Amino acid sequence: MQQGIDIEKIRDVLNANVFEGEVIHGKYVTDVYASDLMSDVLAFGKSGSILLTGLNTIQAAVSAYVAEFKGIIILRSKVPDADILTFAKDKNLFVLSTDADMYEACVKIANIKGELAVPERISEATKEHGLITTHSFFIEGKDFGSAGMVSTQIKTILKSIGYDALLIRRVAISTYEAEMNVVMHALSADVLLSAGDQEIRVVINDKGKGIENIELAMKEGYSTATEEQRALGFGAGMGLPNIKKNSDIFNIESVVNKGTYIETIFYVK
Amino acid sequence: MEEINCAHSWTIVRVQTGFIITENCSQCNKTSTYFCSEDYPPLEEHREGDHYWNVMETAQSIQFDLECDRCHTIVTFKELAGLMLCTGCDEICKVEKIREKLEKDHVWIYVACGFLPIDEVELLSQEKISILEDYFNKRRKSSKSKIKIISYEMVNNLKNCYGEIIKDVGMLNLKPTELL
Amino acid sequence: MKLQELINKIALKVLTVVEDKDITGVFISDMLSDVMSSAQSGNLWVTVQSHKNIISAANLIDISAIIVTHNKDVPKDTIELANRYKVVILSSPLTTFELASKLLESGIK
Repeated sequence: MQQGIDIEKIRDVLNANVFEGEVIHGKYVTDVYASDLMSDVLAFGKSGSILLTGLNTIQAAVSAYVAEFKGIIILRSKVPDADILTFAKDKNLFVLSTDADMYEACVKIANIKGELAVPERISEATKEHGLITTHSFFIEGKDFGSAGMVSTQIKTILKSIGYDALLIRRVAISTYEAEMNVVMHALSADVLLSAGDQEIRVVINDKGKGIENIELAMKEGYSTATEEQRALGFGAGMGLPNIKKNSDIFNIESVVNKGTYIETIFYVK
Repeated sequence: MEEINCAHSWTIVRVQTGFIITENCSQCNKTSTYFCSEDYPPLEEHREGDHYWNVMETAQSIQFDLECDRCHTIVTFKELAGLMLCTGCDEICKVEKIREKLEKDHVWIYVACGFLPIDEVELLSQEKISILEDYFNKRRKSSKSKIKIISYEMVNNLKNCYGEIIKDVGMLNLKPTELL
Repeated sequence: MKLQELINKIALKVLTVVEDKDITGVFISDMLSDVMSSAQSGNLWVTVQSHKNIISAANLIDISAIIVTHNKDVPKDTIELANRYKVVILSSPLTTFELASKLLESGIK
């Protein structure tokens, strides 16, 4: 019973030249490894595989051999030199060369594959992330008129996806506080929303004066808001601790005169 | 080279793979770089007059020519060691000043690095730099951003420059860097 | 196909700010010198490399996004540099070969 891809079929579909291993008839490979980084091939490559690479050096052949591959395909019309061929012959590795590039080669082999378990693994892996949508926003500093717009938009998006109301509330409060901090203290910020079925992630990355003492800023009640800002109802000093309280994971980094980076993650239960 | 009145349309041709070898002299601490197209870069220490050269780094890279599709003029870039993205590491560097001015207009600054030592090698001419810039900009179909190429002569301190140079290091390393 | 559409279609983890762009094709290589000589503007660049200098290569050619496979960790300084130059970095747990199959399936030529 054949389990794998017929090497002759690979040769045909890639219109490849066979350098070593004229005896590829009836042989097959069980997996495909596409890479130019040989240390990876050694670490992750599976025995019985074929190596697709643009790296036309002896290291490609050596790595394939050590990782117990059946052979290599050198891409982009690069002609394998005598050293590679001598080594391959000695170790019983086949060497093919094709003018296809890596994507074309992967795609053509994928088309002839058939029985292997990859399709299942792919759908398992995509379940892992379960990303539903991403959005990016921009906040302009000192733009009090639009303050709150981004968190409102995020709330609308999350509602349309159908998340739990309490979860949406936590994200909205947390993002609102971060947005206000940007408007009050920074020049501008990029906001990235990444909503999935396992978690919602909001990153606020601002350019501005940064926070000199994060520990101090994290104390409830501590505020650096100006009189004018307080008059508008802002700056009760609850910003950062509130963000932390509402999120499951809270990371903050800041460089004075450069800006502040806040990452918040909310788990979907 | 530019006698022909042609609105050049450049294509990259004769791409040659090889290594950029960086050597350091243990006597005078001079750094020297050059391009080697051999399959196996020479790694042994060697003497050259008063210098004792030791290989510090070998990085995979390419050398290429540009050919005009229309008039078939060929321009070689043997003086080019690599292109380096300016990341603005040095406030007083001339390159950084240009970067600061142009970055907000989405013009990214690349430094055309030649070989070292800078006073002993042939430098890339401004004309060639312009051709290179023209080639890469036409290759970017997007009109949202552009690149500008500047000679490495403008870099304030090459030894301490944190620019990101396009080259491949460590590809041939056979030690597994991590386990599953 | 547009980048945002692809991100939603096949689960890719977003590591940077996303600017929607038109995808012109796929370029797979772990060698920066390859990108410089052969990648095309608007391509998706699939690689396991995550060192800062991928931004340098991606920016020169105007890549639409870099997809880092094998769940390779992308260091903070690479992401910072990417955001600064509006280079999109996505991550996938799949191997390069598996991702290529997935991209083909989703309709990218």
